[in-house]
Amino acid sequence: MIVLKYLFNALIFPGALFTILAGFLLSGLDRKVIARMQRRIGPPLAQPVYDFFKLAGKENIVPAAANVTAYKLAPVLSFVSLAFIMVFIPIFSFSAFSSKADLIVILYLITIPGVALIIGGSASGSPYGAIGISREMVTMMSYELPFVLVLLAVAKKAGGDQLVFSLKEIGEWQAVNGSMLLHWSMIPAALAMLLVIPAEVGTQPFDVAEAETEICEGPLCEYSGAPLAVFKLSTCMKMFIMTGLFTAMFLGGIRTGFAGTDAILFVLICCVVTILCITTIHAITARLRIQHLFQFYWTYVTLLALVSLVLVWFGL
Amino acid sequence: MNMIQHFPVLAVMTLFLGAFLIEILGRNQIVRNALAFAAVSISMVLLICLIRPVLLEGQVISYWMGGWKPVANYAIGIGYEVDALGLTFALLGITAYWLSCVYSFGYMKGKQHLGHYYTLFLMLAGASVGFFLTGDIFNMFIMMEIVTFSAVALTASNTEKTTAIEGAFKYLINCSIGSSMTLAGIALIYLNCHTLNLAQLATILPGNVNLTTLMAFALILIGFCVESAMIPFHASFVDAHTVAPSSVSMILSGMVLKLGVYGLIRISYIVFRAIDTSSLQILLTAFGTVTMFIGVTMALAQHDFKRLLAFHSVSQLGYIIAAAGLCTSLGLTGSLYHAINHTLFKGLLFLCAGAVIHATGTSDLDALGGLSKRMPKTCICFLIGAFSISGLPPFNGFVSKWMIYQAAYAKAVTTGNFYYAVVTVTALVVSVMTLASFVKVLHSVFFGQLKKEHESVHEAPGIMLFPMYIMSALCVLTGIFYKAFSTVFIGPAVFAAFNNTTYIDSMMGEGYAELFGVPALAIDKLEFSYWNPFVWFVLFVIVFAAACVVIFSSTGTRGRTLKSGGSYDSVYGTGDLSVDFMGRTYETGDPEEKYAVFFSGEKAEYSHAGGSDLFWGFKYNWHKYYQFLQGLHSGSVNDYSAYAVICIAVICMFMFLFMR
Repeated sequence: MIVLKYLFNALIFPGALFTILAGFLLSGLDRKVIARMQRRIGPPLAQPVYDFFKLAGKENIVPAAANVTAYKLAPVLSFVSLAFIMVFIPIFSFSAFSSKADLIVILYLITIPGVALIIGGSASGSPYGAIGISREMVTMMSYELPFVLVLLAVAKKAGGDQLVFSLKEIGEWQAVNGSMLLHWSMIPAALAMLLVIPAEVGTQPFDVAEAETEICEGPLCEYSGAPLAVFKLSTCMKMFIMTGLFTAMFLGGIRTGFAGTDAILFVLICCVVTILCITTIHAITARLRIQHLFQFYWTYVTLLALVSLVLVWFGL
Repeated sequence: MNMIQHFPVLAVMTLFLGAFLIEILGRNQIVRNALAFAAVSISMVLLICLIRPVLLEGQVISYWMGGWKPVANYAIGIGYEVDALGLTFALLGITAYWLSCVYSFGYMKGKQHLGHYYTLFLMLAGASVGFFLTGDIFNMFIMMEIVTFSAVALTASNTEKTTAIEGAFKYLINCSIGSSMTLAGIALIYLNCHTLNLAQLATILPGNVNLTTLMAFALILIGFCVESAMIPFHASFVDAHTVAPSSVSMILSGMVLKLGVYGLIRISYIVFRAIDTSSLQILLTAFGTVTMFIGVTMALAQHDFKRLLAFHSVSQLGYIIAAAGLCTSLGLTGSLYHAINHTLFKGLLFLCAGAVIHATGTSDLDALGGLSKRMPKTCICFLIGAFSISGLPPFNGFVSKWMIYQAAYAKAVTTGNFYYAVVTVTALVVSVMTLASFVKVLHSVFFGQLKKEHESVHEAPGIMLFPMYIMSALCVLTGIFYKAFSTVFIGPAVFAAFNNTTYIDSMMGEGYAELFGVPALAIDKLEFSYWNPFVWFVLFVIVFAAACVVIFSSTGTRGRTLKSGGSYDSVYGTGDLSVDFMGRTYETGDPEEKYAVFFSGEKAEYSHAGGSDLFWGFKYNWHKYYQFLQGLHSGSVNDYSAYAVICIAVICMFMFLFMR
């Protein structure tokens, strides 16, 4: 019975199916809004769905230099781990995997899709893939430091003198004391988190790893057909998971009383966050170079997160 | 007379006896291998027999050499004393030696002077096990010396590398500095306490701080810090681990460094009980944090497979020492868990490196590539090891690192000390750098393009793969069944480190600890909640398998593999066509290399993203730091000794200023 419940959580809600649908929605919205910002009409909202099925029906070619097993398994690993991460993120009052799931588990699980992308790109044997994975890895190192600082600041704020790493407890604390975003000392951390999201998802200006115009999508260079579709799907899901994590950490105090309305509200907030941090930044910036990306994260963003952590440390 | 009492000393003696027998009888290969295998196996069985009384029932087994029992409450003989802490380390050690011994049969086959190799190997094994089981501080020093000298000779035995002798020499100098410090400390202790028995010292030394004992503590601590390759004592260890034969590197890096860890825990938790002073906690965690950071950043810059692994050992040892320095039960649990995990995954990685060297003859990352197609089994073992050391769930590295982060941050919030938050952040960031560095190895050795000269390499022989499989299995099992594992092995060891009453009583007689009023260290309850990786893992596997089936069944028939025989044109249907849409390959056409691999872009010389330059974007920003550090790693043993001496002076000063 418990296995069935977990299986339901992993496959339907809030796991794979829910994440896919929400991810498609966010991705479609992102494309629509950015088009409007650039005074274009833009694709229909369901365009990512069409793209996915179109790609999935295309022929799948495996290059001769590739390690076939790793090449084919990488997208699957990326997809499945993403479906599982959502299980650990509470949707306001609803949380599937109880209190034991905590920030560090999530932090590590979120690296797995990145690792899958790297393995895929590396296994394809392409030099574009090699450059792509090197950039992807440096991007990961870049945002990891501010990301960690943000997580610790949130944990300290919710815990006080106690060690609280559980997102569920952090949500409960917010339900009592008001959402994190309402505490002024947490605003720098929230900004830092908003800047971490686009790098994690890999959108402009932080899409150096997949830079289409210079290195032909880097790790995805050799991919085609269904595996490519799964990787594209993973990006959509990642969008939802990262914005969802932001919502759970900084706006987790909201309670409507019903799981259904909670979920709808959650997705709506994720939409707003996506437009804020992914779409807007995408629309107004050009791609960075990898060394500047690293500098940017280890100086400005880290400083923002550090300010919050220090403020929280002194009880503010 | 209880038979089990003799097991610890027999376990050590078997190994030493095996060493001498091999030297006498070991001309014949079969006899030699059989003797080595028998000695290690017997010793292993003897230690496994001790699991039930020591780990499960909580006894402490004591043994007086030659029946020299204490007289008038003074220990005069050499005693062996096995508590949970010692036995956990000894079991870990003997497992590593057993696997390395099996691996050596394949790896060292056909090399010269194998008789001496196995003799030294068993000496090393016996001395390490003896180090963990002895109850006498001078005996610890002796065992450390035997370990050092056998390790030096084994390192130098790699006749294929010209730098082997140099590495061995540096190792010798460095360890000599460490062990002379320890010896000086022991002399001071003997001067002050007139005994060398650890149990008796544990009743005299705590709460009896004067300048002599403080100096002794500082010196012994430094000695063990040197043994566990803390920065700045690490440089010659790294050089030696790089050049030793891989079966020995695995032991040196995975096991021998743990001698220092064990000694550090034994001395600071049990004998001196100094670990509850906050200045020592800060010293050890600072030491560990600096070590883990410098270790991993140096590893990122390496382009030799084994040298990279050796720097990672330094980095992981940093985790272990920092966690042990926290002095909380969760911290020590994490520390010991990580110590065990490190032996497993680092051993595994060194064995993989050995398999690669065995097949290709080189460990230069820039000269390798694409080996996953020739050595798929080694590649899978390497992946498991790499994921474990990077701490990806559900592998074992994640469990121990998780505990370490929790412990460090708990320490930070409960004491309100921002310093421990810095430790936590560093540990977390170092972890992702570890991942980065292994991505580099994965890419430049196993994936990427296969080099022409390695077209014909073969998978390692079965006898080398067998230990690798066992270690991979252990890496996964200790990650998933963390609870059973920590209840049986780690929990009792942590309890033994915090409560030494049984340890003292069993050695010196019932009620002895109470007589001297030994204070117990305050221990918070041994429990930690953790997500349930087992359910998660099972679900993950189910869903993963299902997703694989869905994806491969839908596209498998239409997928095709373009071999180098197929030409570019045929894809677009203009050339000599033999396109097969049923998943088979086609072999017609002139294999024009230009289009053999890529479908897009022009043929490029394999780009700058080779082994050493994979993280250009990272290193560009850090080039001053790297210039500085690479200048410090000059390779000259004079420099290394100078760093050691400076560091020793600093630590002694710190102790005298803050610990009195």
